[in-house]
Amino acid sequence: MSANGAPDLLRLKGIDTYYGEIHILENLNLNVREGELVSLLGGNASGKSTTLKTILGLVQPRNGSVEFRGEEVTGRNTSYRIRQGMAIVPENRRLFGPMTVLENLEMGAYLIRDTKGRKEDFDRVYTLFPLLHERRSQLAGTLSGGEQQMVAMGRALMARPKLLLMDEPSMGLAPILVERSFEIIQQVHQSGVAMLVVEQNANMALSIADRGYVLSTGRLVLQGPANELLQHEDLRKAYLGR
Amino acid sequence: MEQPPDTPRIGVDEWVASVEGKRERYTGPRGAVLKRWERLPPAARVLVFATPAAVFPFLTSGGNLFRYGLFTLVYALLALGLNIVVGFAGLLDLGYVAFFGCGAYMYAILASPQFGNHWQAEAAIPVVVVFTAVVGLLVGLPSRRLLGDYLAILTLFFGQAFVVFVNNANRISFPFVGHADLTGGANGIANIDPFNFFGYRIDSTRKQYYLLLIAVALVLILLMFVNESRTGRAWRALREDPLAAEVMSIPVNRLKLLAFVFGAAVAGLTGAIYGTIATAALPGDYDVGLLITVYAIMILGGFGSIMGIVVGAMIVNNIPKLLHSSANARPLFYGTILLAILVKLRPWRLLAAELGGLVAFGFAIHGIASAAYPRLVDGESIGSGVSARALDHWMLFPKNPVKIADVAYILLVAAIVVYPQLSRVWRAVLLPPLLYLVMFVWENLLLVHIGGATRLILLGAMLVALMNIRPQGLFGTATVEIA
Amino acid sequence: MNWSLFFDLTVSGLTLGSLYALIALGYSLVYGILKLLNFAHGDVYMIGAFLGWYALHALGGPVNPTFTGAVVLFLMFVVAMLGCGVLGVAIERFAYRPLRNAPRIAPLISALGVSIFLQNSALLIFGAAFRDYDTFDLIGVKTYNIGQLFFSVPQLLTVVAAIGLMVALTLFVARSRLGKAMRSTSFDREAASMMGIDVDRVISVTFFIGSALAGAAGVMFALVFGQIYHFMGFIAGLKGFTAAVLGGIGSIPGAMVGGLIVGLAESYATGYLPQGSTFQNLYVFALLILVILIRPSGLFGKAAISKV
Repeated sequence: MSANGAPDLLRLKGIDTYYGEIHILENLNLNVREGELVSLLGGNASGKSTTLKTILGLVQPRNGSVEFRGEEVTGRNTSYRIRQGMAIVPENRRLFGPMTVLENLEMGAYLIRDTKGRKEDFDRVYTLFPLLHERRSQLAGTLSGGEQQMVAMGRALMARPKLLLMDEPSMGLAPILVERSFEIIQQVHQSGVAMLVVEQNANMALSIADRGYVLSTGRLVLQGPANELLQHEDLRKAYLGR
Repeated sequence: MEQPPDTPRIGVDEWVASVEGKRERYTGPRGAVLKRWERLPPAARVLVFATPAAVFPFLTSGGNLFRYGLFTLVYALLALGLNIVVGFAGLLDLGYVAFFGCGAYMYAILASPQFGNHWQAEAAIPVVVVFTAVVGLLVGLPSRRLLGDYLAILTLFFGQAFVVFVNNANRISFPFVGHADLTGGANGIANIDPFNFFGYRIDSTRKQYYLLLIAVALVLILLMFVNESRTGRAWRALREDPLAAEVMSIPVNRLKLLAFVFGAAVAGLTGAIYGTIATAALPGDYDVGLLITVYAIMILGGFGSIMGIVVGAMIVNNIPKLLHSSANARPLFYGTILLAILVKLRPWRLLAAELGGLVAFGFAIHGIASAAYPRLVDGESIGSGVSARALDHWMLFPKNPVKIADVAYILLVAAIVVYPQLSRVWRAVLLPPLLYLVMFVWENLLLVHIGGATRLILLGAMLVALMNIRPQGLFGTATVEIA
Repeated sequence: MNWSLFFDLTVSGLTLGSLYALIALGYSLVYGILKLLNFAHGDVYMIGAFLGWYALHALGGPVNPTFTGAVVLFLMFVVAMLGCGVLGVAIERFAYRPLRNAPRIAPLISALGVSIFLQNSALLIFGAAFRDYDTFDLIGVKTYNIGQLFFSVPQLLTVVAAIGLMVALTLFVARSRLGKAMRSTSFDREAASMMGIDVDRVISVTFFIGSALAGAAGVMFALVFGQIYHFMGFIAGLKGFTAAVLGGIGSIPGAMVGGLIVGLAESYATGYLPQGSTFQNLYVFALLILVILIRPSGLFGKAAISKV
């Protein structure tokens, strides 16, 4: 599972991001190698979501660069980055409530124009989540939390991502579903998709990750292999002390 | 556990505590001036404006006092009232000038030959203010359940309904009373009495000026107290985030309504005063043009900024008045454009090149036109004097400019929309022709209609531009939204 | 009861209603996607009427048209719709897009600025006088009847074309890729952009469609009523908005039904209520207040305004 030595898929260099006049991310450096699963940990308002938004181009950094697949994409819009192979499962899933499950999955494949491959994509998603096939004509807003999580994952996978970003996949789910969710993350990861998982649930996130970063008020304070982080004194006190 | 002071701690939610440290600050002379200003007590701030205003009547003629002084104060008073509704409470009230009209008509009904009433001011003013406040209450009541946007359109419609009503209320038959000419229809109500306080008549421009000054000062002081009070804080909270305000158990609806009614009352008072100045209440005085003017003042001054509004009133009232003569209009217009270019264009060499390019471009165009299309240069510029005649040798002045100027105007609007989308090089290359086009349209079209459409076109463009550059207004403070 | 009056009022109500519905659709589409009241929408409608007039006169005028009446009419609609569509896109790009993250009131004021700018630009260029379409010269004075309802040609054209445009729009939003992108963008703009949808483009398309519909409505109005002037967009915009609120702002079928209700209400008020022809606008205003008091989310609206 380790991907040491693989080339970088994503690299953030010296990122400074502001909201208005407030400095959110300070000199952030981070990378994800091909086929790797990386966790980004941190408390409330530590800048995790901003990091993801910066990666996707939803927020423009004032300084620093974002590179994806060896290409600098800092000035590119979100649409371009997604076409290059990023996809995201957003925080709180953010499904299109008044649209059907099928339409939601279609939106995930919005930028994929070849319709021949489309069917295989659907098959792949329906194999992973058979329930979605059953519910395909139901409105997404009427599904339960766990089902919505599946739609969100399926929707992201429809984009055929090289790098899948996950924003708090455990948020708002019952413990049993959290576990199931992380199983699926692992499954998707094993199919060769690199992942950056943003989590508050450090224990769970590090247990499946190759490496981890810890963010606090916009600064990286710890980084290293996941198993080392799991042993780290400060981190245990802050997050794992239950 | 001991932590070195400089490293951030893990897992501690210190974000809120550290926000101040992460905020950028203004520095330099601007910051120093702002700091000094913030430290002044409210009374001193009022004095900074009141002293020159009080001396003004002794320095100028009656006509100028009427044109510049009275109208500035009327606008300032109106904008102060609007500021409560929009600036403090964040409600977009687009029927605001109708309350102003209500005040003028109500006072006219109480003190003019229309019904033969000639009330004393000390009785009429409270009645007018209460009446407009009640109207405000009635219009504001539906807003209690509304999204802000609905209120905007509802009040816009109300403003229109008011104009329709006063235009036609001379023909309504009332039950019991029968036919009554309530508003004089399209002719309005004329010969309104001056204010008569216990026999003291406010009947000269100078007296009216001081009355207005006192009214502005009173409303200003009142607002400053309100601003510092619990209600003021709640209003501001409401504007920033209605939902959060509600969660903090601020009675949102009641406060909204209060702000709305308060604003209406100030407008009503201003209307009564305006009625005595104009000595007539006319249905055409309370239209969208006035609404835009008052909004422009409030926005220039900055939402919620009380002193900014007085400055805004001075700018918005007086600049268009100065624009009325082409001798003033030209330097003002070109000065503004030059200033914008001076601020925007760096370095100096580029600036010099652009201006040189503009001059050369003008001579080239003029040369080509006089050789090939003499019809484009057979007219001359408005006004007399050396500069106007010099302009004739550089700018195109067709004798019959109507059609070509219309086309040029449309072209100019299109060019201004497209220009910011261009790359830097193209922008630099195309700036001189664009400026020449601006000047052509200005000289041949806008300057011709300076008393009519031009003023509102410039105001409309200014609103859009200002929202683009500084949405919080010139003197307002930015609100930072943390996503 | 005077039935022939009733039927006449019904026909003119249906015609007006179709116009208001087309205007309301523009409000609804834009509100659905940006949560913005586009105050300039009524003025776009006015510009559409003038563009149609210029097209008519560029094509030889109503008395001696270059082509047959039907072709001229078609070209008038094309010019007005394309012109207004482009104008709408430009307005969004210039006046609203830079303000996406500004305080909520900023784009509203910007919209007000655009509205006043357009109105007075029209005054500057077209002048304060009324312009005539001289419809009768162009398409004759024939009437058609459906039962007791007698339609003039422009009235019939308005109702039929409005229904056609609305059906086309409904299908477009429900079925097409771009239509789905519009729906997802209006529900959650950021999530839509996370799917790779170019949100800016979707918003531009929305403005184009809404403004083109307003342009079509402007030409229809001019064909039915003959005269156009620079201030005509203000009241029409208010009524279009009333229709949108009545139907539930953000809902397409709502805009259509709302438009018809406002049109019929205005027409019946003119005919039956005291001094209706003077105070018809006040009666529509009263209707708006009534709706807002009784059912602020409108006939087809959900509690949360979300659907296109």
